Amino acid sequence: MTTLDSRPITPEVRDNYLTFTRGLLSWIFTLDHKRIGVMYLFAVLSSFFVGGVMALLVRTKLLFPGKVEWMTADEYNKAFTLHGAIMVFLVIIPSIPAALGNFIMPIMLGAKDVAFPRLNLFSFYLWVLGATCAVWSLLAGGFDTGWTFYTPYSTQFGAGGTIPVLVGVFILGFSSIFTGVNFIVTIHKLRPPGMTWFRMPLFLWALYATAIIQVLATPVLGITVALLVVERAFNIGIFDPSMGGDPVLFQHFFWFYSHPAVYIMILPGMGIISEIISVHSHRHIFGFRFIAFSSIAIAIFSFLVWGHHMFTSGQSPLMNVVFSAITFSVAIPSAVKVFNWLATLYKGSIALNTPMLYGLSFIFLFTIGGLTGIPLAVLSTDIHLHDTYYVVAHFHYVMMGSALIAMIGGLHHWWPKMFGVMYNEFWGKIACGLVFVGFNLTFFTQFMLGSQGMPRRYYMYQPEFKIYHHISTGGAYIMSIGFLITAIYLIYSLFAGKKAPANPWGGASLEWQCTSPPPHDNFATTPRVGDCYDFSAVRWDEKEQGYVLDTEAHLAAAATGKGH
Amino acid sequence: MKQRDTPFDDPTARFEAGRFGMWLFLIALGIVFAATILGYLVVRIDNGAAFVPADAPRPPGMLLASTVALLLSSVTMQKALRAGRTGDPRQGGLMVATLALALIFLVAQLMAWRSLYAQNLTISDNLYGWTFYVLTGLHAAHVIGGLPPMAITTWRASRGAYGPEDFRGVTYCAMYWHFLDAVWLVLYATLWIGSMG
Ligand code: HEM
Ligand SMILES: [Cu+2]
Repeated sequence: MTTLDSRPITPEVRDNYLTFTRGLLSWIFTLDHKRIGVMYLFAVLSSFFVGGVMALLVRTKLLFPGKVEWMTADEYNKAFTLHGAIMVFLVIIPSIPAALGNFIMPIMLGAKDVAFPRLNLFSFYLWVLGATCAVWSLLAGGFDTGWTFYTPYSTQFGAGGTIPVLVGVFILGFSSIFTGVNFIVTIHKLRPPGMTWFRMPLFLWALYATAIIQVLATPVLGITVALLVVERAFNIGIFDPSMGGDPVLFQHFFWFYSHPAVYIMILPGMGIISEIISVHSHRHIFGFRFIAFSSIAIAIFSFLVWGHHMFTSGQSPLMNVVFSAITFSVAIPSAVKVFNWLATLYKGSIALNTPMLYGLSFIFLFTIGGLTGIPLAVLSTDIHLHDTYYVVAHFHYVMMGSALIAMIGGLHHWWPKMFGVMYNEFWGKIACGLVFVGFNLTFFTQFMLGSQGMPRRYYMYQPEFKIYHHISTGGAYIMSIGFLITAIYLIYSLFAGKKAPANPWGGASLEWQCTSPPPHDNFATTPRVGDCYDFSAVRWDEKEQGYVLDTEAHLAAAATGKGH
Repeated sequence: MKQRDTPFDDPTARFEAGRFGMWLFLIALGIVFAATILGYLVVRIDNGAAFVPADAPRPPGMLLASTVALLLSSVTMQKALRAGRTGDPRQGGLMVATLALALIFLVAQLMAWRSLYAQNLTISDNLYGWTFYVLTGLHAAHVIGGLPPMAITTWRASRGAYGPEDFRGVTYCAMYWHFLDAVWLVLYATLWIGSMG
């Protein structure tokens, strides 16, 4: 009774994961999922900065329709390739699972750590090694193939750093596979008594579905880039048509991974949104099972649609029709989620905190991103839209506007938990607004550009596109200011932020029941599990300056099925 | 303060989790090989009989020797696992035998490569040669990658470290090893059939 009272045990517990041991070595060799998560977070956000600078370079060049002196066409190719590769492989894929997931997942689950702490640390160092390969590539002349590495360009031409970056992608792939293995085993084997599958928060369902894709799809990417390396090294390979190889085979292999990979990026984001929407509107999530199973459905469907990236590659018309039809069906589980989030918001008592603003941005932007996928899945329209800015706009709405926005929203949602401090709400809202406005200026214009025929990845363009490019670049700068402000107030909060209560938002899942920041062992005793979306036993406590959960009432409500 | 290296309090649960994780890892590796073989089949079938150059050598007989070595190593590995599970002191010797057979396998693979090379089959002249070296090389790389953990397990087994309470190390090794054995059989059969004109 006394030990399980979920009232924050702050006065007695001084020790937390940050102060548990000290010194640089205690971080370098840490096996604590929380510290590994923090290291990932730092690494991913640093990469995000570098990738962002590349994006700004690209956008700045595009202020001018013709040649510019400070950036040749070759340098331009390298800049957008570096941008894409960094953002996909170093930022978005690891961001939510490896950074936020690593930190939050075991706590949310009620476990002391992930199943294999050493493997977890190993994954992180593989990430570091992969990132180092990208640097090596730059020293070796950079790479300019686009993030898709299409043959024969990547094998026969391409800048001198192509092999190093492929090696890097290979290593990053294994980092991702090991994270996936770790998460699947953790969720299967470390659920405490009472944490049944249907008591498990939706964020964990999403991470579980993601981990399945990571384990099953990433090996194909690994072997594909490995074969590319051998092919480039020996000037012959199974993707080389002059020797009887098949370059379209490369596209099949690449997209067999990379389409599921877009769900590695978005599923965890959807998981975060389920948490944010429910907690910040203090309302039980609507359609728990629908959301949970739609994650699994998306994971399964994601393996069946890769051919929609290849409608113009010359694959057989029958395949095109089949892939087109299956692609439409993916939209269903995605829409199921959106409707359930909206239904959760309906009549909720919505608190417009920064995480919630990001959550609402997500719903808006993901809807646009998902719906603009439909014309791309239609064969007749895709012939026109393929390889234009329309595709660029589509995938930025889903990857940046959705996956990344969810990540930033989640970062704010769990920031008090991770570091024990509150960030500044006022600046949080300002920054979120700037990012939202800037984002739409940047990318909505690109739908216009694309549908009017502006191809993607071009260095020069017709003068009539100038106005769109200018708006787009202006938006990119506005967005950057938003991110800059975010970086400043988050870092500032680490030093001078108000101390965070254990439960600042009124959440009922397990991570809000341990102190902020959590102790090394997460929980003193095995936690007891109620319904994490039942907020009826949560109330504001003036003394704590945070919410507290009446555990007994919470568990009783779960036992009787009340509180829905 | 010492940090915790496992979240499991119960050793059996830890072992179960380890085996499950190993299975997932092997599934991932299985997909690596499956994709490679699929890629091979695509170019092999696309090119028909022209895939095999007229004067090209068939897979050398040395591969039979390496296959036998690998199969035997699976047998010794399995016996080592059984010895480890019961705390039988022969576990060390059996692991040494497994390691030795693994090395014999690698040497035999190398000799097979050399004999093909001597018959003018190179990696860079045609896809027949390329696929042969790449597929066998990929498998050999996994064997080599398995050697360090094998060596550690052998060293620990030779000190009798495994017994009924803890035989995790040998178990994981055995899983990996049998997996490589099975992959090799599939690969060998594929290459053999593929080399027929
Ligand atoms: C919800 C329904 C979705 C549909 C129907 C859809 C459909 C498509 C189609 C047909 C293409 C190929 C366009 C072309 O190259 O001509 C495409 C491209 C793309 N989509 Fe989606 N998509 C959806 C959601 C997503 C999501 C959630 C993500 C990522 C989080 C995503 C990321 C991408 C990327 C990265 C590309 C372009 C890759 C490249 O060529 O560089 N899509 N989408
Ligand atoms: Cu796709």
